[in-house]
Amino acid sequence: MPSVKVVNGKQIVVESGGPIDRVGRFIVRPFARMWQHRDLIQAILRRELNERFKGSIAGWVWAVVAPLLAIAVYTFAFTTSLQLPMADSAMGPRLGYALFIFSGIIVFNFFSEMAFRAPMLLHEYSHFIKQTIFPSDMLAVISTIRAGIYTLISICVMLIFQVIAAGSLPWTVLLLPVVFVPFAAFLIGMSWFLCAIGAFTRDAGYLMINIMPLMMFATPVFYPHTALPAPLDFWIYANALTGFVEVTRDIVLMGVLPPLKVCLWTLFVSVFTFYFGYWFFDRYRNVIVDVI
Amino acid sequence: MSSSTSSDIVVQARNLGKAYQLYAHRNDWLKQVMFGWAKTYFKPFWVLRDIDLQVQRGESIGILGRNGCGKSTLLQVICGMTLPSHGELRVTGRIAPVLALGSTFDLELSGRQNVMIGAAVLGLKRPDVLRKFDSIADFAGIGAYMDQPMKHYSMGMRTRLAFSICAHVEAEILVVDEALAVGDAAFQRKCLDWIDNFRKNGTLLFVSHSMAEVRRLCTRAIWIEEGRIREQGDPSEVIRSYHRALLVEKDDVQRFTAHG
Repeated sequence: MPSVKVVNGKQIVVESGGPIDRVGRFIVRPFARMWQHRDLIQAILRRELNERFKGSIAGWVWAVVAPLLAIAVYTFAFTTSLQLPMADSAMGPRLGYALFIFSGIIVFNFFSEMAFRAPMLLHEYSHFIKQTIFPSDMLAVISTIRAGIYTLISICVMLIFQVIAAGSLPWTVLLLPVVFVPFAAFLIGMSWFLCAIGAFTRDAGYLMINIMPLMMFATPVFYPHTALPAPLDFWIYANALTGFVEVTRDIVLMGVLPPLKVCLWTLFVSVFTFYFGYWFFDRYRNVIVDVI
Repeated sequence: MSSSTSSDIVVQARNLGKAYQLYAHRNDWLKQVMFGWAKTYFKPFWVLRDIDLQVQRGESIGILGRNGCGKSTLLQVICGMTLPSHGELRVTGRIAPVLALGSTFDLELSGRQNVMIGAAVLGLKRPDVLRKFDSIADFAGIGAYMDQPMKHYSMGMRTRLAFSICAHVEAEILVVDEALAVGDAAFQRKCLDWIDNFRKNGTLLFVSHSMAEVRRLCTRAIWIEEGRIREQGDPSEVIRSYHRALLVEKDDVQRFTAHG
């Protein structure tokens, strides 16, 4: 059984079975590869996590201080003159709105960190990709896990803040993992797509830098989507982030189950992005090595 | 070679060729991606052409050639880092590419951390790395430097560590790209001894500019020129004709330009 077989520039993978088998294998493959390379993922993740606070004395304290500072600033900055949503919340309007923004920011930051980094991701690891046999598709997974860990810290800060302010948490908070698994899948898929494009051109990175501030206001981070006129509904949901922001708010702040339609749409976008990203990356994987 | 069965062939290459795409303008690749079906926007630069190669299990092959002749590309193609543009390649067994493993080291991290990552990249499981760690450190013989950031290492120390990691990955095919050149004589001897031992059941492919190394380690030498195999066979004979050619041909710039 040869480990590498190439004919005329195409890798030969023995594909048995009908189309249904192939689709099945395609669906399983990203997960199979993650499992296969779990030790490598772990080793590089360790290094990346250490790297962020390398040479700092306070180290991981910064990861906690950053969200704390953010939540403090939002509380004071946004609560002076605006007509506030959540005015009837048990925590009072100020804290209610602070948490409202903070939950949106958490979701958005997770997204923007990935979007900023993904185009440069393969360049960062180009020496690995060119010099060793390296599963480059795992980089998107690693960087998503890394960003996810910082997001988790922010979520903990938010939940603690809420417990202090409101005295309790709704039971729906338990559904958070159910929201963040598809969200991570969405981001991994997006990273695959962006890092493949970023390998060819630096424009992807510049595009992201220009688009992100706009995205922040096109996503209901500072306002509820109901504040917009109804005809815009379609467009605001076309932005996949809206779903994630609103579902997170529903289960953490409001303590209600999100509307089924929004859940299904968001889930669909996640799964689609994940597999589209993987398909796209896989298609150009072999070209990427030569252009990077 | 009629006595060997097909399972003894670890690397089988037929008519292998590798072309890089050279673009005249920066953005031509985009046109190539979009309109590549209608028109070709790049000039192919053939680094490897018509390579026919068969490597048996237990062989040890030295690859000779001048800079830029395609030696390293050939090793990269065999390792599966980059796909050949045409031809057929079949590799059986676990490959460990020592192709400049040292260049993947992160200089900010300690030697210990780099061992963990380097070994993981070469496919070693974490418990195995932890188990073999002392042995790796012993072989490298860099003592207390193991816990220092790698930026304080000398080139030789990096090479020691890189080779030491590769010596512990239990590969069936070892691919070495001029890795030994920087080590001191004592370490080189240690590596050569290790390779001698490895060859009892493993296969070795290596590039070197040291004729003494090739003569000592190889059962077969391959001389590559302009991407083609010019001569292969008994190491001393290939080395002799290679040397003769080096004396006659002058070092011109023409060979790095793309043609055809």
